[in-house]
Amino acid sequence: MKSVFLLQWQRFRRTPVMILSFFILTIVFVAALAGNNPAERPAFLAYTDDSLSPEEAEDWVASLNSEEEFQFQLESETEVREAVSAGDRSLAVRLMADDYRIVMAADDMSRFVLEAFLNRKYREELRFQQIEEETAASDIRAQTVAELEEPVLGISTVTLNETEEFVYDNQLQLLFGMTLFFSIYTIMFSLMKIVEEKRYGTWDRLILSPVAKWQIYMGHLAYSFTVGYAQIVLIFVLFKYVFNFDVGDRFGLILLIIACYTFAIVALGMLVMGLVSRPQQLQAVVPIIATGMAMIGGAFWPIELVSNNILLTISKILPMTYGLEALKGVAVYNRSWQELSEPVSILLLIGVVCMGIGINLMERRSY
Amino acid sequence: MLETEELKKVFKGKTAVEGASLYIDKGESVGLLGPNGAGKSTTISMISTLLKPTAGDVRLNGKSVIKNPAEMRKVLGVVPQEIALYAELSAYENLKFFGRIYGLSGKQLETAIQQALALVGLKERQKEIVKTYSGGMKRRINIAAAMMHEPEVIIMDEPTVGIDPQSRSHILEMVRKLNKEKGLTVLYTSHYMEEVERLCDRVYIMDHGKIIASGTKDELKSILSSEETVLIELDRPYPEFFKELQSLDTIKQASETEKGIKLILPKGSRVLGQVFQASERHQVQIINVNVQTPSLEDVFLHLTGRKLRD
Repeated sequence: MKSVFLLQWQRFRRTPVMILSFFILTIVFVAALAGNNPAERPAFLAYTDDSLSPEEAEDWVASLNSEEEFQFQLESETEVREAVSAGDRSLAVRLMADDYRIVMAADDMSRFVLEAFLNRKYREELRFQQIEEETAASDIRAQTVAELEEPVLGISTVTLNETEEFVYDNQLQLLFGMTLFFSIYTIMFSLMKIVEEKRYGTWDRLILSPVAKWQIYMGHLAYSFTVGYAQIVLIFVLFKYVFNFDVGDRFGLILLIIACYTFAIVALGMLVMGLVSRPQQLQAVVPIIATGMAMIGGAFWPIELVSNNILLTISKILPMTYGLEALKGVAVYNRSWQELSEPVSILLLIGVVCMGIGINLMERRSY
Repeated sequence: MLETEELKKVFKGKTAVEGASLYIDKGESVGLLGPNGAGKSTTISMISTLLKPTAGDVRLNGKSVIKNPAEMRKVLGVVPQEIALYAELSAYENLKFFGRIYGLSGKQLETAIQQALALVGLKERQKEIVKTYSGGMKRRINIAAAMMHEPEVIIMDEPTVGIDPQSRSHILEMVRKLNKEKGLTVLYTSHYMEEVERLCDRVYIMDHGKIIASGTKDELKSILSSEETVLIELDRPYPEFFKELQSLDTIKQASETEKGIKLILPKGSRVLGQVFQASERHQVQIINVNVQTPSLEDVFLHLTGRKLRD
């Protein structure tokens, strides 16, 4: 097993380009999309309708701009619509007294994030307005800010179906999503060496040697696991310590979750290798699987924003869903180990099932 | 030393090999001859324990290896038809790996590597990456990799396919030396008749998954002892002339060759007169006529009705 494992590293040293490119791509994507300063991003254009006076509109924009996440700029409706039509802006916002509309010319992934932000701000603002109307208190906002600084009680918000309220962290969403997405390529392309070995005859040489078949598989699987795991860990370390992303203070737990996720992807890779036997076919199939899983599993946008039941059902069988759920559970929601045991167990279950079926299929297939 | 009994292999309802029985004595060099698709590779895959037979048995020194392949694998070296090497590594690195998986290490491993490289004549170029090698050099390293653990039996599956004459000659000489000087038992498959004639003491001829003849080269040629071969060299092909020769009752078999026509005739038959008369009628220019005793190629043609490389 050790010889087979070390051989894969020797081969990697000779042809490192593909694996390294996925590593670099992850860093570039996350740094470009999440690591930039919100103030440097172009502001969203906004306009109002008759339900808001100019002063109220200014107040709304000031309120929206009070948070660092997004910046908004008030313009006339004609200017906003022209900017969107001409493609100068992908999205714009129509502000109303107790509602909003997102204006867009073509579908844009960031609308989910913007929508989540506006939802939260409107809900807060309307709640304040309601309290002000009912209590006739003029300084309720100032009081709230003061109270929040020294809360009497710590309250955790739980919805009716006992799940936490959705919290969106753009940086962590991109870091976790992109890293897990690109690691699929790294792992599956490294596993492709098994198919190549079977196809080009070196596998038979190994089979005829005193090395047991399970040791040959283990050598390959250990390599794919290590290379995938190392990629994810290095990227997380880089963004935690160099780019100062706040991934929480339970990094050990994150490392454990990554290990479970990597195992599940290695196993899924084995299933794919068992179904598709030619390296050329795999080069076409792997990107389809990786992208499909990332889209449905919530790597590109939060799964919490998806409402389509079919997509949500499919997401329940994808390791990406549980990997992200567990990672966000640690870094965003600060969940306990007991709460994390469910997604982690499902990852391990997916791993065991896919590995069993995958190796079985590979053994039956002639190359 | 090594024998197979009624080996049979069926793939998805299609019989690839049926009733293949053969034996190889220690130190012997045996050829397995047959055209593409005859079942040679399937047979040697079963002998080398890579493929489980549908029926039949493979025995090493009288013991079945079907259920205990490890016994066979210890003494066996296999040179596959493909270049089964890691192309991105050097020849040295490839051999080092294949030596390691056989449990070699340290000085023993280094010695085995250098011996294998010397055997295939690539000691000077051992540090070069395999993918930069010529086809012939790759084939030589392919053989060296199978020799790392000093096997007692080596199975070579068409080891000279697609290489230049110089490398081919080098490989054939190397196999001959391994067999004659080092006493290595060789099972050599090929569809190049001259290779088998040069290297092997005995030959098995396979066609359509069955062994259709076997024996020493002389025994096989004696199948055609009552016949002789006439090679007629022509300046160009003459289809009508060939058709007429085929229709002559006194000619047992007529086939077209690269340079002309090959005839198999009953020994002593006076057919050449008819051949020359036909050439006159068709205005054929005969360059050379050569009367030969039968070769293995002729035996093969006689037995199967087709050429080895059909």
